[in-house]
Amino acid sequence: MDTRHSPTDYFEIRLKGHLDTRWASWFEGMTIILTEEGDTVLAGPVADQAALHGLLKKVRDLGLLLISVNRVEPG
Amino acid sequence: MPDNLLQTKFHVPRLRPFLVPRPHLIEALNQGLAGKLTLISAPAGFGKTTLVSTWIDTLQTGSDTLLSKSLSPTPTQIAWLSLDGNDHVPARFLSYVIAALQRIDPHIGVSARSMLQASPLPIPALLTALLNDITAQPDRLVLVLDDYHVVDAPQIDEALAFLLDHLPPQLHLVITTREDPNLPLARLRVRGLLTEVRAADLRFTVAETAAFLQQVMGLALTSDQIAALEARTEGWIAGLQMAALSMRGQKDVSGFIQSFTGSHRFVLDYLLEEVLHQQPAHVQTFLLKTAVLNQLTGSLCDALTGENNGQQILESLERANLFIVPLDNERRWYRYHHLFAELLRQTSFTSDETHERDLHIRASQWYEANSLELEAFHHAVAANDVARAARLIEGEGLPLYFRGEAIPVRHWLESLPETEFRARPALWVTYASVLTMTGRVRDSIEEILQAAETALQDTVDDEKTTDLIGQIAANRAMLAVLTNQVDTIVTQSQRALEYLRPDNAPMRTTTTWTLGYAYQLQGNRAAARQAYADTIAQSQKSGNIMTEIAATTCLAQIQEMDNQAYQAAETFQRTLQLMSDPPWPGACEACVGLARIYYQWNDLETAERYGRQGLALARQLENVDTPVACDVLLARVQLACGDAAEALTTLTEADQFVQQHQFGHWAGEITDIRIQVLLHQGNLAAAAQLAQAHDLPISQARIHIAQGDPNAALAHLEPLRQQAEAKDWADMRLQVLLLQALAYQAADEHEWAVQTIGEALARAAPGGLLRPFVDEGPPMATLLREGVKNGVAPLFAQQVLAAFGEADVPQLQTFQRLPDPLSERELEVLKLLTTELTGPEIARELMISLNTMRTHTKNIYSKLGVTSRRTAVRRAEELNLL
Repeated sequence: MDTRHSPTDYFEIRLKGHLDTRWASWFEGMTIILTEEGDTVLAGPVADQAALHGLLKKVRDLGLLLISVNRVEPG
Repeated sequence: MPDNLLQTKFHVPRLRPFLVPRPHLIEALNQGLAGKLTLISAPAGFGKTTLVSTWIDTLQTGSDTLLSKSLSPTPTQIAWLSLDGNDHVPARFLSYVIAALQRIDPHIGVSARSMLQASPLPIPALLTALLNDITAQPDRLVLVLDDYHVVDAPQIDEALAFLLDHLPPQLHLVITTREDPNLPLARLRVRGLLTEVRAADLRFTVAETAAFLQQVMGLALTSDQIAALEARTEGWIAGLQMAALSMRGQKDVSGFIQSFTGSHRFVLDYLLEEVLHQQPAHVQTFLLKTAVLNQLTGSLCDALTGENNGQQILESLERANLFIVPLDNERRWYRYHHLFAELLRQTSFTSDETHERDLHIRASQWYEANSLELEAFHHAVAANDVARAARLIEGEGLPLYFRGEAIPVRHWLESLPETEFRARPALWVTYASVLTMTGRVRDSIEEILQAAETALQDTVDDEKTTDLIGQIAANRAMLAVLTNQVDTIVTQSQRALEYLRPDNAPMRTTTTWTLGYAYQLQGNRAAARQAYADTIAQSQKSGNIMTEIAATTCLAQIQEMDNQAYQAAETFQRTLQLMSDPPWPGACEACVGLARIYYQWNDLETAERYGRQGLALARQLENVDTPVACDVLLARVQLACGDAAEALTTLTEADQFVQQHQFGHWAGEITDIRIQVLLHQGNLAAAAQLAQAHDLPISQARIHIAQGDPNAALAHLEPLRQQAEAKDWADMRLQVLLLQALAYQAADEHEWAVQTIGEALARAAPGGLLRPFVDEGPPMATLLREGVKNGVAPLFAQQVLAAFGEADVPQLQTFQRLPDPLSERELEVLKLLTTELTGPEIARELMISLNTMRTHTKNIYSKLGVTSRRTAVRRAEELNLL
């Protein structure tokens, strides 16, 4: 499997609970989408693996419950 | 970090007066002491640190004796280390671990500490030394590493894995972390040596939630309400605490609980506003403004808020349980709980960036006024205030980059756009100085200096401009030092001294050093020695450690050339001590110097070790010739071990490096060793050809002796003798005497030979120099035996013969070859230092006070030229003192 991904890769990070939109800048410009089931999806371009891990560390450091991480086709 | 702030890293966080008792967890931790590692791994806000501090409190006060039946009565000492984001550098991490343990007993880790400057860091050796010291401890030690997740460095994981593999029974490790560390957890788990406390164990049960809300927070709630809160927060302590704080001032508690539990909003987002709104307006403002600070103290907070009640509010926040962590016992320094600080910052700055800048500037001003210039600089950078940051770099009397802070300064400068440089030519000069200082010397430094000169043409011709011209010259002198261009060093140094402002002490001191270096290159050792001594005195006065290190290293080299090996070794060790934290690649020169001295003392193993350390360090620097010096030394060691082929390979590497970097001044010495290798292989013709081609008189003399033409050798040596005497070059004088003696011997002039070798022995004995004799091979051994028969320096001559590995040489008893021999009492202490006894035990044994004992130890170390107990014992063994 090719684990590399190009700079245009988009990720969706699903978290439990609704996060306020003011966190968008803290999560490096990710869009904050609130779902009806009460989850938050952080969606946006992620430069590389290091940036992705950086985002996950921020999730960890806020004590947020991480549900899933998905790479998606932009669209 | 200033000392008092630094000490807060070792401080066990103070307990709050009311806590939910968690006896099952405390008992689990007590049981865990039987194993090696206790891992407390859970996300932020689960009360990990509080649990460990509570447990430590029960261990120390014995307040839960009923519960800890399992705990043996062994006294337990705690070493606490709060980690932060800067601790990912292995040397820094280990130096803090050692410092934390030394708070229990200052003798722990003394020799481990001395290895911190080596590069690559000898982690296994260092940890072994540390563990040996711990094995000697009577009590059980618990080392707590709090917030281990911030470290995030594979090398440190490896170091801890090694530690766990070799853990003595006295030591137990406790780690709190937000993510599982990369340690052999499965293996420890299977062997029952790991105790784990995880989120599921830490989250409050319904009963604990009830106890917390009712008893700790004083809320009267129904059991349904408690269950609802427990379910909404899932027992997450940070969430419950925020909920409780929100409810305190709430008139309609049940309405609050209903809307909170009915909401999907992230618990903290929901509750922060509630909690903030519960606070009086002035406390809200205080929290939002001080959120930019990493550490808080009353007057610093006042500087940000413009009020006069900082200390009072900090103490009231502590009493109100408002996410504040005391960092010391004096209620001076605090910090916000990380999670809370993050929330506050988000709340206060999403809308207002100019406000944030203003707060950083105020913080910077406070730190500056309190002489904490590094923190002041960091806040100026955070405020993006270039003028202020640039001024703070210059420091009061001593620029930050002269104080071991060159790397943060360099990173900042590299982040600036070129327009800032054009607007402030002084930044170019600073950048050039910082690059030189951090060993990132490229051709571009000259370009940077030229850019500065161009920019200066457009500025007014004032005192500051003149000083900058001086600084540019000083930088050029420094660059010329790296390539040994004597004339340029002298010209630029003199220009620098002419232009530099009289009160620019740091740059003037540096220039005194570059001039000294030029004298050294010119062979004027007395003048160089004087310049270095001046530099050391000046730099000590201004606290300019970087320059002190450079001058001390050079002074040691002069002592080495003057055959004062013991003084030189001590001086080199001093540079290593000056550089121990953080390790600096500049230590390479001291390492290779020590390597050469140990080589002369015929301790080939130590020589090789220092040589390799020096090489690893030197390779981190650009455009310095130290790698060649290391290779040359290593080749000598390899030849001395009889491995001629290996020596040739090393010399080839050195040659390539010399050609690549145009360090032509090394060609002679490399060829000299090549010739010795050829002589060793018996290839006289090739050796002769090489010596002829390179015009190397010492080698030529050696070859003439080997060819059976001693008179030709003597003819080559005589002018060298005259030169060495005229210039007072002790090392060359010794070398010439040795070859003259051999030549006389070969010419059957036995009387002359014995007299000359006697003079050589007398010159070599004070420094204990063995190798210059041994390297001349079997004829030298014959000559020495003859010398001994004739009563020339019998003790030292026998020692030299022993170094030849001659079995028939009688072992010397307690002959001391120290310039300053040990006293009877010091010898007694030294003997006990070889035992397992601790310092206090030795003092008791000799019936002296601990202070007297320490004075003896200090004198012994100084006389032996060592810095640790371990090396003292080794030196003593080498010197046959035991």
